Amino acid sequence: MKKSPLEKITLAILIIAVMIFFMMPIYWLLITAFKYGREAFAIPPKWLFFDFTLKNFIEALTTVKTPRFILNSIIITTGATLLSLILGVPAGYAIARSKSKLLNFSSYFFLLLLMVPPVAMLIPFYLIMRDVHLLGSYFAVILLDTVFDASFVVWMMRSYFADVPQEMEEAALVDGASHVGAFFKVALPLSTPGIVASALYVIIYSWNDFLFALMLTSPKTKTIPLGILASFSAVEIGWGRMAAMSIFAIIPAVIISLFLNKYFVRGLTMGATKG
Amino acid sequence: MKSFALTFRRFFRDDGQYLLLLSPLLIFAVVVAIYPLFFSFRISLFDYRLTDPNQTQTFVGLKNYIRAFSDTVVLDSLKTTLIYVFGTVTLELVFGLGLALLLSAEVRIIRMLRSFLIMPMAIPPLVVGLVWKALYNADFGVIPFYMKALGLSVGHGPLAELKLAMLAVILIDLWQWTPLLMVIFLAGLKSLPTEPYEAAVVDGASRWQSFWFITLPLLKPTMLVALLLRTMQSFKVFDTIYATTAGGPGSATTVLNFHIYTVGMTFFDMGYAAALANILLVVIAVLSIIYIMVLERQQF
Repeated sequence: MKKSPLEKITLAILIIAVMIFFMMPIYWLLITAFKYGREAFAIPPKWLFFDFTLKNFIEALTTVKTPRFILNSIIITTGATLLSLILGVPAGYAIARSKSKLLNFSSYFFLLLLMVPPVAMLIPFYLIMRDVHLLGSYFAVILLDTVFDASFVVWMMRSYFADVPQEMEEAALVDGASHVGAFFKVALPLSTPGIVASALYVIIYSWNDFLFALMLTSPKTKTIPLGILASFSAVEIGWGRMAAMSIFAIIPAVIISLFLNKYFVRGLTMGATKG
Repeated sequence: MKSFALTFRRFFRDDGQYLLLLSPLLIFAVVVAIYPLFFSFRISLFDYRLTDPNQTQTFVGLKNYIRAFSDTVVLDSLKTTLIYVFGTVTLELVFGLGLALLLSAEVRIIRMLRSFLIMPMAIPPLVVGLVWKALYNADFGVIPFYMKALGLSVGHGPLAELKLAMLAVILIDLWQWTPLLMVIFLAGLKSLPTEPYEAAVVDGASRWQSFWFITLPLLKPTMLVALLLRTMQSFKVFDTIYATTAGGPGSATTVLNFHIYTVGMTFFDMGYAAALANILLVVIAVLSIIYIMVLERQQF
């Protein structure tokens, strides 16, 4: 069935309309970050031609503690990512290789954990962290992020290892290696693509987290989403600065969605698609 | 006896070692996740307010749970949640399928456009909320400007009007998550067999007929997975609500998840908040188990 020219034009217009809808907010954020205050809210809106300025970025980096917020986000994201990989990758391997029903079944336990509403975990966790005097520390946020991150890593790595050929591991076992040895010497070095895919999703998850950081961080350990909110509700309405800070906050998102989106999508759908 | 010894030896040779690899995470999960969930169940049986200077915890049994089911604010927020979940999930399913069909061609430019559509999902939801809050602003926002140009009345802006607020936050959700449905449907479309379509062409079916009678029925399993996944996620919305309406105007956008946060972290009524959180947890757990069962049935 060939499409008529009329159909083709209709489809092209539809595609353009869809792209405008989905890209408009991101484009707005981008240009607002480079606009002077008076132009940011000019009526009618200035979509194309405006006075270009770096003022918002300079302000974001000097008057508010954006570098500090970014550093805090990096510390928490790195901590949670490393911890969840260290805990999750061996566990995913064990579940994929073991023939024990009980071990196989435990992957569902981690999937269930992944689905727990964050607020249900946060309320008791907040009280526990208060009692052990860890409220406001990086560690508290890293721990809670890792619950969700590591559960995700197990689920992803289990399906990754299940798809990987086992001949080399079996050869190592025949040569007298233990299962633990086969994991560290043979399987782990070969699993880089799976680890990268899991890590990407985990990085985005921890970087984007707002609720946990909102309750568990102190002014010193605030992450970038909280920093944006705080500087925004300050005395003057700093939309331009908010936009500039947001640009920093969305850098990982932009990189991953444009260059590594296959892995990211596989994570988002939690194995519902093979990406 | 011999078989027991054999099982025992096998355990230490195989499963014991696997258990060793699994145990760090298991211990972590028990301490950092399972213990807090038990702790949460315990405090939900108590009247415990952080604002109380003596920090007294009075055992009240299931009173917090009983209170939850007769609390009109909770029942209202439950209604709001259901409207939000139903609205977002159905619209995203429909538009997601539309997007998948629109952008299914394996051409370079279409592939590029698709990767741009992944972006909304990766942006911090809080930033998404703030951006839309600016776009919706009654005085300088872009959306009210074009609404006025079309002769529509904007009042205090879409987020501050009782009738529009829910629609406005649903639109934000659509913006961020419709692309996810597109991705799931694209994967579903690619896995469809080609024979039925060839047969349909031979029989002289129109494109619309082959969509309605072949594609849609074959996509049912994909739709079920997408429906369950998005329903669970939609129940947990928080950041965008926090950034845009904070549950208002009035309680027009106070979804249950946001209400639990308010009870716990603004009113510090911990026992009650824990009870509400546990109710939400059970709802999500039931959905998760259904999701797992569906996923497993499709893979094997």
